[in-house]
Order: sequence, then C-alpha cells, then structure tokens
Amino acid sequence: MKDKKILDHELKYQDLDHVDKGRVEKILAGNKGYSRRDAIKLAAATGVTLAVAENMLISGNKAIAATPKKGGSVRMANPVHGPDDQTDPMMFTSGIDYARGRAVYNGLVQHADDLSPQPELAASFEPNSDATEWTFKLRKGVEWHDGTKFTADDVVWSMNRHLSDDSTSVIKSVLSTIKEWKKVGTHEVKAVMHSSNSDLPTLLGMFQNKVIKNGTTGDWIGTGPFTMESFQPGVKSVHKRNENYWREGANLDACEITAITDPVARVNALIAGDIQIMANVDPKAFRQVESADGVTLLSTPAASQLGICILKNAKPGEDDDFVKGMQYIQDRERIVKRILKGKGVVGNDTPVSGAHGSDWCSELPQREFDPDKAKFHFKKSGYSGAELFVAPVTAGIEDTCLLAQANCAKIGFDLKLKKVPNDGYWGAVWMKEPLNVVTWNMRPTANSQMAIQFGPGGNWNDTFWNNKRMGELLSLSLAETDPAKRHAHYCEMQTLIHNGSGMVIPAFTNINDGIRNNVMDMPKVPLGQCGAMEWPERIWLA
Amino acid sequence: MMKQMVLQRIAIGFATLAVVSVIVFIMTSWLPGDVASIILGQAATPETLAALRAQLGTDQPLIIQYFSWLGNMMTGDLGISKAGGATISSLISSRIGNTMMMAGLVALISIPISISLGLFAAMHPGTSLDRMVTFGTLSTISVPEFFIATILVLILAVNLHWLPSTTYLTGDETLGQLLKAIAMPLFTLVIVVSAQMIRMTRAGILNVMNSPYIEMAILKGVPRKRIILRHAFFNAIGPIVNVIALNLAYLVSGVVIVETIFSYPGLAKLMIDAVQTRDLPLVQACAMIFCGVYVVLIILADVASILSNPRLRQPK
Amino acid sequence: MTEETHLKEEDVIAKLDAFAELPDAPPKRRIKLSWIGKASVAVVVFWLVIVAIGPSIAPFHEMDMDGDDSFLSYGEDEDGGLLTNEYGTFYLGTDYIGRDTLSRILFGARNTIGISLLATLLAYLMGITLGILAAVKGGWIDMGISRVNDAILALPTIMLGLIVIAAFGSSIIVLILTAAVIYATSVFRIARALGQDIMVQDFVEAAHARGEGIWWIIKSEVLPNAAMPLATDFGLRLVFVVLFISSLSFLGLGIQPPASDWGSMVRDNLQGLTYGSYAAIWPAVAIASFTIAINLIVDDISAKSGGSLAKKMV
Repeated sequence: MKDKKILDHELKYQDLDHVDKGRVEKILAGNKGYSRRDAIKLAAATGVTLAVAENMLISGNKAIAATPKKGGSVRMANPVHGPDDQTDPMMFTSGIDYARGRAVYNGLVQHADDLSPQPELAASFEPNSDATEWTFKLRKGVEWHDGTKFTADDVVWSMNRHLSDDSTSVIKSVLSTIKEWKKVGTHEVKAVMHSSNSDLPTLLGMFQNKVIKNGTTGDWIGTGPFTMESFQPGVKSVHKRNENYWREGANLDACEITAITDPVARVNALIAGDIQIMANVDPKAFRQVESADGVTLLSTPAASQLGICILKNAKPGEDDDFVKGMQYIQDRERIVKRILKGKGVVGNDTPVSGAHGSDWCSELPQREFDPDKAKFHFKKSGYSGAELFVAPVTAGIEDTCLLAQANCAKIGFDLKLKKVPNDGYWGAVWMKEPLNVVTWNMRPTANSQMAIQFGPGGNWNDTFWNNKRMGELLSLSLAETDPAKRHAHYCEMQTLIHNGSGMVIPAFTNINDGIRNNVMDMPKVPLGQCGAMEWPERIWLA
Repeated sequence: MMKQMVLQRIAIGFATLAVVSVIVFIMTSWLPGDVASIILGQAATPETLAALRAQLGTDQPLIIQYFSWLGNMMTGDLGISKAGGATISSLISSRIGNTMMMAGLVALISIPISISLGLFAAMHPGTSLDRMVTFGTLSTISVPEFFIATILVLILAVNLHWLPSTTYLTGDETLGQLLKAIAMPLFTLVIVVSAQMIRMTRAGILNVMNSPYIEMAILKGVPRKRIILRHAFFNAIGPIVNVIALNLAYLVSGVVIVETIFSYPGLAKLMIDAVQTRDLPLVQACAMIFCGVYVVLIILADVASILSNPRLRQPK
Repeated sequence: MTEETHLKEEDVIAKLDAFAELPDAPPKRRIKLSWIGKASVAVVVFWLVIVAIGPSIAPFHEMDMDGDDSFLSYGEDEDGGLLTNEYGTFYLGTDYIGRDTLSRILFGARNTIGISLLATLLAYLMGITLGILAAVKGGWIDMGISRVNDAILALPTIMLGLIVIAAFGSSIIVLILTAAVIYATSVFRIARALGQDIMVQDFVEAAHARGEGIWWIIKSEVLPNAAMPLATDFGLRLVFVVLFISSLSFLGLGIQPPASDWGSMVRDNLQGLTYGSYAAIWPAVAIASFTIAINLIVDDISAKSGGSLAKKMV
C-alpha cells in the first residue's frame, strides 16, 4: 500500500486516478490563481506530478495557528433524517441521532481516536478480578441542563432501561452479558455481569449508551456540551453551548444539525458554503470535493465492509464451491481503485482489517481476482446463475455488485441483481434472501467485529455459518493475555471465516466526510461518520 | 343551481377521502417490513421487535389499526407518529405553512407569466416567437426536475454565490431574507409548472379558435387580437383553470424532488418519509390533506369555469 | 356483429345524416406536416431504429466497465482526441463507474422508449375503456370507478410508484403497469368527459331511441368522436411517463441494473456535471430529443385537425 502511494506521487498528471487529478488541479488553481479549466490544461501539458504539486502547496500555505478559538457556529448535514428522528438515546439508529446525542448527552465512557475507552461521566472505572463486576466512580458537580444535580440514580435508570424484558433498546442483545446496574453511593454505581466481560467500557462508549435523567426517556435534557434549543424531526435541531458544562466544553457558540438527503445537493451545499460539515461524501463526488476551493475531504480508514452474504443454510450457498466462485470473481483491486476511488483497502473475505491493529491476520494469503478459478468453482457447484439482492446500504456496494455481474457474464455465469430500496431491507431481505448485501459500522475490537457476525447461533450471524471452533476461539481469545497466543487465536478465526463462511468481503471503505477548511481538529474515531460524531465538543473554527 | 352543484361536489369529496384512506391502507399493507423493523433496522432481534410492536400498538391486526385510526380521526385526533413519537399534528403544522407558502408564491408568479406567454404565443401562431415559446416550454417539460434543479444550484449557488443552495428557515427572517432563502426552489418550481401551463393555455385558446363562431367572427373581419382577448380567452378559461388546479395540487403534494434537493421542509417529503418508515397514521394524515386540497381545487376550477361561461350557468 | 351487418337502409341513412349535422365530426382531410413536423418524425424514426438495432451497434455491452476511469469526457485524453483503450473507443466518454456512455444510451433507448410507449398505450387502453364505460353506463358504476380514479389522482404519483415498486420490485412489467395505472387516471377523466358530452348529443340519443345496443353506440358513435382529442393528449402523457421513471430513480428505485434507462443515467451521473463530464448531459439530450419530437408531431397534427386539445388536461 505504501509503495503504491510513493508510486502515485511520481505518476504524471495523465496517469493519476481522478481523485489525485482533482488534488493537482486544486493546488495549481489555488496557488497560481489559475481558473480550474486552465489548471487542467496546464497540468496535462506539463505532466506535473502529484509530488511536485504537493510541494507547491506546502511552500504556498502559511502555517495555521493550532490554538483552538472560541466562538462561531456550524451547520452540519447528515445523509438521512425524517419523522423517525429519535429523542430517546436507546432508540438511536442513524447518524443524525448520534450527532444530536453527542451534542446533548454524555456517556459514562467515550472513545478516543485510537478507540481506547476514556472516562467521561465516569471519572474512573475498574473490574473485579474476573471481570464479573465493574465499579464506576461518577463525576461530581455535574448538572443537567435544567439545573438539577447528576447522581448515581440517573446512571442506574439509564443503564437498566436497556436490560428489562420489555426493553426496545437497539443494543439490548449487545449488552446481554450485563445482569444489572446497582447504585453503590450517590456517585458510584456497579455493573453486575452474567459472565466475565473485559470489554464492558468499550460497549459503554456506544452511541445508544447515553446517560439520561432519572425517570425520563431523554427528552433532550442532558449533561452534554450543548443544549437543545429547538428540535424538529426531519427538519433540523438547533443547539447552544452549555455554559454550565462540567469540563472545558465546546468551542462553538452554537450548532445546527440537519440533513440534506440528496447526495449531490449535500456536496453542493458544502462547496457553496451553506454548511460547514457534511457526513458521507459519495465516491462520485471525491474529485469535486478534492478540487473545490475552501473544502477538504476527510477520509478515515475503517473496517466498514462491503459485504455480500451468502446464506450457508440455503441453496446455493450451502455449496462451498459456489461461495468460492463468488469470492474469486471479485476484482478487489479494481473495486478499491475505481469504485472507492482509492479511499479503501482490499478485503480478504474476513470482517477484520488493518484498522483493527495487531489482531488483523496480515499473514493470511490474500484472495485474488481469478476468473478461471471462479469459473472452475461455479462449474463444480453445478450452478449457472444466481440472484443477488442489492440495496444501497453503503457507498460502493451496488457498484461492487455491478462489477461482479459484469465479470460473471464474461465467464458465462449469470449473476442477476435485484435492486431493492433501503427501507425495509433489514427486515425483509437481509438474513432472508439466499444472496444479499451487508455492511457493519466498524466495531472497536476484532473480537466484537467477528462475534457479531460469526458467533455461532448469534442474532446477527448473517450467513448462518455456525462453526463450533469459532465459538470456542471467540471466548478463548478474550481471556488470552499472551500476545503471541492471542494473535494465533485471531489468525485461526480469520482463517476459518476466510475458508468456510458464506461471507464475501472484497473491500473495506474508508469513512469519507467533507468539511470547510476553517473547521479545525475534526476527530477521527473510525466507528462512524464524522469521527463517530465526536465533533460537537472538539472542533473549532479558524 | 351553483350552490347545489358545490354541495354535491363536497359530498363527493368526502366519498373520495374515504376511498383514499382505504387505498392508502391497502397499499401500505403490501410494503415489506413494518414500522418496528424499520426503526430497529439492522439491530433488530425477535425480542426487541416484539417489545416495540407491543409498545406502538402495531402488533394488532392491520384492520384493527385502521379502524382505530379512523375512530381517532373522526374525533379530530391525528395520533402520534409511530416512527418518531412526535404528534402528527406538530409534524404537519410545522410544514403545512411552508408548503402552502411555496405553492402560493409559485402560483402567484407562474400563473400570470403562463397565461400571458400562452396568450402571446396563441396570438402569433406559427411565428418564430411562438416557436421559441413552444420549444422552450417543451425543453423544460422534457428534462427531469432534478436536472434543472441541480443545474440551477451549480450556476446560482456554487459558481456565482448569489443564492443559498439549500433553504434554511428560522421563522423570524424578514421578507427579503425569506425570499432569498426560498428563491432557488421557487425558481425551479416556477420553471417546471409554467412550462406546462403555457402549453395548455396556448393549446386551449387555439382550440377555441377553431370553433365555428370564432370562424364566423374572423369572417366578419374582427381583429385577431380582439377575438382572442374578448372571446376565445373566456371560452378557454374552463380547461385552463383545470390545468392550473391540477398543477397547484401537484405543488402541494408532488414536489418531493425539489423539497429534497433544497431541503425545503414541506409536506410532500414528509409523506415519502412516512411511507419509507411505514408510519401508517402519518401517511394517512398526509393523504387526507392532499386529497382535501385536490377536491377543493377541482371544485374551485369547476366553479370558475361555470362562472366564466354564461352558457354553462343555465342548466340544459 | 351480425346486427350491424344487417342494418336496415333507413338506419344507415339516419346515421349518415347525424354525422353530417355534427359540428365536431372527425375531419376527413389528410394531415400534412410542416417542416418541423417532418424533422420531428425523422427524430422519432431514428430513435425507433435505435430501439431495434441499438444493442447490436453499441461498441460495448451496457454492463461493461471497461473505461480507464470514471467521468472521462471527449478531449480529456492525452492527445485531446477520442478516448481509446485496449477495449475500444469511448465516443461520448465514460460514466461514473467507467462504462461507455454511448453504449448505455443505445441500450437504454429500448427501455426508456419501450416502457414509456407501452405504458402510455396501456394507460390509454384502460383509461378509455373505463372512461367510456362510466359515461355510457352512468349510475353506480360511474360513481364507483370515478371515486377510485379521483383517489388515485389525488395521491402524489411518486408516492404511488414508491409503494408499488417497493412492494413488487422494479421489474419492467411492474414499471409499465404502475405507470399505466397512474396515467390512466387522467385519460379516464378526459374519456369520461368526452363520452358524457357525446352521449347527450342528438345523434346518440336518436340511436338509443332506435334501440341500438350499448356497444353499437360506443363503437360507432362515441369512439370515432373521441379519438382525435384523446390522441392529442398522447404526447404529454408520454413525457410524463419518462419523467415518472426517472423520478423513481431519484428515490433509488427505477429500472433494475445493469439495464440502462436515460432518466436513471442522468440521475446517476449528475455529480459529474461539476467537473465538466457530459455523462449526464447526453442522456438528457436523448430524452429531450425524443419527447420534444413526439410533442411537435402532436402539435402539428392537432393544429391541422382541429381536435379538442383543450379538454385534454381536464
């Protein structure tokens, strides 16, 4: 990957991919005051390389002050909103909910850019010796937006809501290892576990685990860095800085959280300066954002998979050769280069990527695009065609399937695509149709990433591949402290998935957001768009 | 006679409302997934689905849900959005004003433009000016709305920075600020609906020009302009008003693409969102409003065409 | 059938007389097109030929992603000339994932023109049949059909399309049927209004008094008189179907991949406009050329024939 990057820098303008072309054009236009059209002509005529262009940029720009400034307000646009915008953190499911939750509420724990859990409303936390009980010391002197004091009662109420029998919490089953939360003192609580769980703090950093006021369902009374001034579902919410915040708090005076659902309009609004932050830039728009003045494309590597699920308990996926055929027909390099425009990495049919750090099994041989092998396996499976259900669950997934279809056609395999809308997809198609597509927000650890999709008998085992050894390894690896042995466990799991499951993961996409250039210190937590929505408290305007 | 006609139309309007509610009910029952599975999405488990359905009351058979909605509706209670928990009256009241304002402004600008351009073209049929109007209107009818809207954004907002690319309404802006904020969607919609109305005005007048009594007037040597303004126009009002009524109904219910591109908080997008989240009471509420608007507009159009044509005022 | 063939001489004479007195009897003169009309016919014929042979003359298959990059346009190649690589030449450039724009327009003609023509024809068949049925039968049948029709007309078309396609998938058959039902509602209103007008005309009352069957009246009296006004409505209706399908693509529905359709091509490549790609312009030009040509032909015919164009939108 690194070599490729150096190579790209030495490539002349004509040979660059179109995102880098955009960067060269922008630099030339910005530095020399050329119009974009002239810049394109100039670049083409002189064959300038990216390295040369970037040098021009460095020498041309003055260093920007790095001390945060207070003041100003931003408007942030998400890709989706509607009358189903939620007020109860327990029911948060979309980026706009996460953003509002981050602005108004706090969690016990929050994620840093490196995914380590950091204390938030919990001043400190520690497990007992076998991690079957966790004790959280809470911050004192924290006040709710309505002026009342924050205590352990609020935490116990907020946390136990997820666990009750009639709970509708989105993360109820994720939290199933917790038995109950108990109040220990006015500012101390205890989580009692069903079984040992050393990852509890990480789970508590999830978007839905916000602390709300005792007896409420949220109602936008939080302890967070911003107050809710007005909330119109499907229109916008307006927030003001909480001057009574328990830590230094937000730099911005105010922010507005909304959505522009049309992707083309969202990019145009950013470039026109009508919004300052946009979540989710479509690959089609990379070149536009890269080459426009005053805006920056932020691309954060993340293990967000472009996944094709082949059900192992149904035809044709129960045939291993069929799955192999589907895996070998993926032109992974091309998906990353052409469809993701370089903002992603190839996948190896496992849900773990380099973004997961040392738990990624880099020594597992990469499965390459091999139409001959695909043809061989399809032939052996006896199938000459199949139907794949596609919904636009993530950027690039439809185009990935189109590419697979075109390549299948070339080897005489008839891969039919059935395009269905996003709404209703998770309930009616996913885990039901024999071939469907999936994506998952990156989970903070390789273990939780694999457990959710490949834990035997799990709720979301979306290829219905139940491997007993996989289940054993998932718990063994959690308890293993020796790094070498731990890595061996992780590698064995990834090899099992790579060889046996019904999952095709040809690529991982980066998280791509756009900002105006004066937005500083955007967080880079790779668990969701816009630094997992950690931006409200952290950014400042230059 | 007129009063009787209007009363009869109103009765028919209520029958149409009832039919609309049944059709909407049947159609939404075809959709895959329900509101609970859409709220929980990928994270749904059988237990949370069951709990949420029980909480929302969507575990009842559809037919019972329909009649409970109907019962509440009769007492004036629109209910609560199943998907988000806000009251439907609050969701609608925050948008109905926007929708009516936009439809009203577009009508205010486009109707005079359309009728005068249509008249102008009809007065000079076959000339290059007429051809220009025809070609211009056909070109704008023929390309998708999102294409026109995006081109306008690229020119007026992204390149020239004259107008904002999206609409943000705070509710306390001055008239000037308001007009600037909604200028882009307003402009797009004026272009889209004017094209059709110009075309129909021209066609309506030319059609009347073919009738025997106009031919008679022409033979008698009455000037063409006078014929059109004095005779043909009033006889063509019926069909023209009908086209205007249908276009106004479209401006209230059908402008989802323009509302989406410009993030304009109106009713059309609300209904599409409601369908996509299977929020049955909200879908029904929007359908009732749209149907009501349609019925009222059609009655107004009928009244206008009767008033404009003395011959129709007398029963045969 | 047999009744008509054994018509009495008096009846035939009565019928001819009725026609002679009728002011809006269909004109018998031949339709002569202006030069614009002729040019429009040429454009429509061109596209119909493309429908027939498009896929066989296309340089690429519509699903092939053989371009070197996305959103390439003519002139962006090193020598400023045609874009060519080892797979072939991309005369109109490439789309957002490197497919040949020209080939997709040639393939897409079949879908866009085929679907819109079939859906419009079907809409007419349904609308006219039900409209005339309602006009002729009246009473409860008229009331029932009219209320359902009004209800569909009162709901936004895009919402109806969204529901049907989300429920039944976006196969070409479903697209055609959905568009046909939606646009049959307007045709129904015209046909019913015209039918009612004609039903109270003296010659129909005369035929009724003579004891003619209802089908005889429809076939011999109502249809010939309603034909021209309805035909003039056809052009706009066709445009609306093309736009309806493209607006579905805006909601992520529309035609199934990899099949191409001009409206979806505009939508999918819209982003390219901002950096000088013509990938969204060419399909828009294709849509406009076809629909404008159809409407200019309709204009020409209706201007010459004096059909009751005005009633078309009622």
